[in-house]
Amino acid sequence: MNSEFLILMKQEMGVTLILFILLFLKIWDGIKENGILLHLINVLLLLNFLLGFVLNQNGELFNGMFATNSLRVMEKSVLNLGTLIISLQAYDYLKSHKHLLEFFMLLLSTLLGMFFMISSNNLLMFYLGIELSSIPLAAMANFDMDKIKSSEAAVKMILSSAFASALMLFGISFLYGTSGTLNFQELVSLITGSPLQVFALLLVFSGFAFKLSAVPFHLWTADVYEGAPVAVTSYLSVISKAAIVFVTLSSLAPLFSHLNEMWYHLLFVTIILTITLGNIFAIRQDNIKRFLAFSSISQVGFILLGISSGTATGATSAIYFLVVYIFSNLGAFGVIALLSSQTGKENISDLKGFYQTNPLMGWVLAISLFSLGGIPPTAGFFGKMFLVTAGAAKGNYVLITIAALNMVISLYYYLRVVKAIFMDKNETPVEPLRGSLSLRLALLICMIGVVGTGFAGGFFEHIYQLAAK
Amino acid sequence: MSNTDYLLIFIQFIVAGGFVTLVLFVTHFLGPKRKTSDKLETFECGIESQGNARLPFSIKYFLTAILFVLFDVEVIFLYPWAVNFKEFSSTNMSGFISMSIFMGLLLLGFIYIIKKGALKWE
Amino acid sequence: MNEIGLTHILFVSTMLFFIGVYGFLTRKNMITMLMAVELILNSVNINFIAFNKYLYGDKLDGLFFTIFIITIAAAEAAVAIAIIINLYRNLKSIDVDDADIMKF
Repeated sequence: MNSEFLILMKQEMGVTLILFILLFLKIWDGIKENGILLHLINVLLLLNFLLGFVLNQNGELFNGMFATNSLRVMEKSVLNLGTLIISLQAYDYLKSHKHLLEFFMLLLSTLLGMFFMISSNNLLMFYLGIELSSIPLAAMANFDMDKIKSSEAAVKMILSSAFASALMLFGISFLYGTSGTLNFQELVSLITGSPLQVFALLLVFSGFAFKLSAVPFHLWTADVYEGAPVAVTSYLSVISKAAIVFVTLSSLAPLFSHLNEMWYHLLFVTIILTITLGNIFAIRQDNIKRFLAFSSISQVGFILLGISSGTATGATSAIYFLVVYIFSNLGAFGVIALLSSQTGKENISDLKGFYQTNPLMGWVLAISLFSLGGIPPTAGFFGKMFLVTAGAAKGNYVLITIAALNMVISLYYYLRVVKAIFMDKNETPVEPLRGSLSLRLALLICMIGVVGTGFAGGFFEHIYQLAAK
Repeated sequence: MSNTDYLLIFIQFIVAGGFVTLVLFVTHFLGPKRKTSDKLETFECGIESQGNARLPFSIKYFLTAILFVLFDVEVIFLYPWAVNFKEFSSTNMSGFISMSIFMGLLLLGFIYIIKKGALKWE
Repeated sequence: MNEIGLTHILFVSTMLFFIGVYGFLTRKNMITMLMAVELILNSVNINFIAFNKYLYGDKLDGLFFTIFIITIAAAEAAVAIAIIINLYRNLKSIDVDDADIMKF
C-alpha cells in the first residue's frame, strides 16, 4: 500500500520534499550564497519535472479524495516546467534578494496546492487546493515590501480572492445540502437542476471565473499584475491560470453535464464579454505588464471558447493552447523581467528602438508576441486555430464571428509593440541588456517551445489520446 | 404551548425588568453621596490605572497575536483525532504516526519563527 | 412551528451571507471588509453543520469541511492583516479609496 501511495502522489511528494529541503536550509542557514541556492532549486525542480515521465499509474487514494491519471500527470508536468522557467528567469531579481528561500517556499506551496487541485476528486480536497494556491500568491505579490504599488496589489488580490472563494464555498455548501456528497462523480449523477442547485452552480462558476479573471470578475487582474514583481506576475498570468483551466476541464465542466443548455449560455456570455473587453482595454495601455494582463484576459476568452464545445477535441485544444501560451507568455515576460530588473522601465514607449541596441532580445519578444497574437509560423497560430475550430463545431456563428473579429483587434495591438521594437526611432534607446546565463537558457526553452510545439504534430494527438480516455 | 404559557413568560420579563429599574432608582435616593476624586476614577483591579485605554499599541503585539491564532486554530485538528484515540491505539501505530507528522510540521514552523526572531521582545 | 428546523437555520445563515456580501461591497475600511468575508465563511459553516445534522446524520463530511474552513479562514486572515499592515506602513491609511495609485 505504501509504495502505491508514493507512486500515485510522486509529484506532490517531490514538491513537498523540495519544500522541506528549503525549510531545513533556512533553519540551518549554512549556504549564504544566493546563486548556489538558486541553482540547487532549479536542479530539484528539473528532477521533479523528469519524475513526471516515469512510473505513471492511474488510481485513487484517501477513499477517492485524490485521483490521478496520465492526463493529470502531464498537466502537472507542464505546470512544473513553467515554474522551472520562471525560476530561471527570476535569477537576476532574486540573486541579491534577502528573502530568497521564503520566495520559493511560497511559490512551491502554491504549486503544491495546484497539484492537489488538479488531482482532487472531492470538493474538500479541491477547496484546500484552491486556497493553498491562492493565499501564498497574495503574500508573494507583496514581495517588494517597501513599494506602495506592490502592497496595493497584494491587498486587492487577497480581499477579492477571499471574497470569491467565500462565494464559491457558499455554493459548495448548497451542493452538499442538496446531494449529500462531496465526491465529484457521485455529485454529477445527483445534479438534477433544481433551482437551489442552479444557484449553487452559478456561485461555484463565479468563483472559477474570478480565478480565471474572466470578464465580470476581472477587475483585480490588471492592478495586481502591474503592482506585483515581474516574476510573480508571470507566475500569476501563466501557471495559476493554467491550473484553473485544467480543473475547469476535469471537474467543473462535468458538474454541468446535466445542465448543458445553461452551461453553454453561461459560457457564451462570458466568452463574448471576456474577449471583447480584454481587447478594448489592452489597446489603451502603456505599461507593458498591464498590457499583457488585459491581453491575457482576452486569451482566457479564447480558451473558454474551446471548452464550450464540450468535446474531447475542445478539451485537447484548450490544453494544447495553454502549453503554447505558457511558452509564449513566459518568453515575453522573460525579456520584460530583464528590462525591469536592469533599467526599471516597464512601458511600451521605452521599447522604442529596442532592436537597435538589443537585437536578440528584440527578436525573442517579437516572436513571443507573434505567437500570442496567433501569426502563422508560430505555435500560437495552431493553438488559436484549434480552439476556434473546436468552438465552431457547435455551429454558433455569432460567437465565432466575434472571436474572429477580436483576433484582428488583438493583432493590431501586438503588432503595435513589435513596431515600437523594430521601426520606431528613438534618440535614447534602452542600453544593451546583459542577461544571466539562466535567463538566456529560459528564453531558449521558450523559443524552442514556441516554434517547436507548432511543428511537432504528434503533440496534439498525444494530448488527445490522454484526454479522450 | 397555549397562550397562557407565553403570558407567564411575559410576566416574568416584566418582573425582572421592573426589579432592575426599581433597585436602580431606589439606591439613587437611599445611599449617602460622598464624591471624592479617588472614587470617580476608573476601577482597575485595585491598581492605579495608567493612561487611556484607546492608545495605539505596538506592532509587536500584532505579530504575537497572529502567531498565537495560527497555532491555536491548528489544535482544532486534535479534537477528531482525540475522539478516536482508543481505536487508533488498539489496532496499530497509524494514528500515532499521522499525528506525529502533523505535530512535526507545526514544530518546524515554530522553529522557523524562533529563528526569524519573531518572538523576541526587545 | 415550535421546533427549530432546517429552514430556520438556513434563514439565519442566508441572512449572515447577505450581510457579509453587503458589508464587503459597501465598507471602505479594509479590516471591516475582511470581517465581512469572515461573516460569509461563518454562514457557510452554519450551512454545512445544519445540512450534516438534519439531512445526512450518518456521515461526517459536513463537519470536517467546517473544521477545514475554520483553519483556512484563520490563515487567510493572518496573511491579509499582515499585508494590510504593510500597506499601512507605506500609505498611512487603510481606506480602500486611498489605495488608488493604479487605475484602468
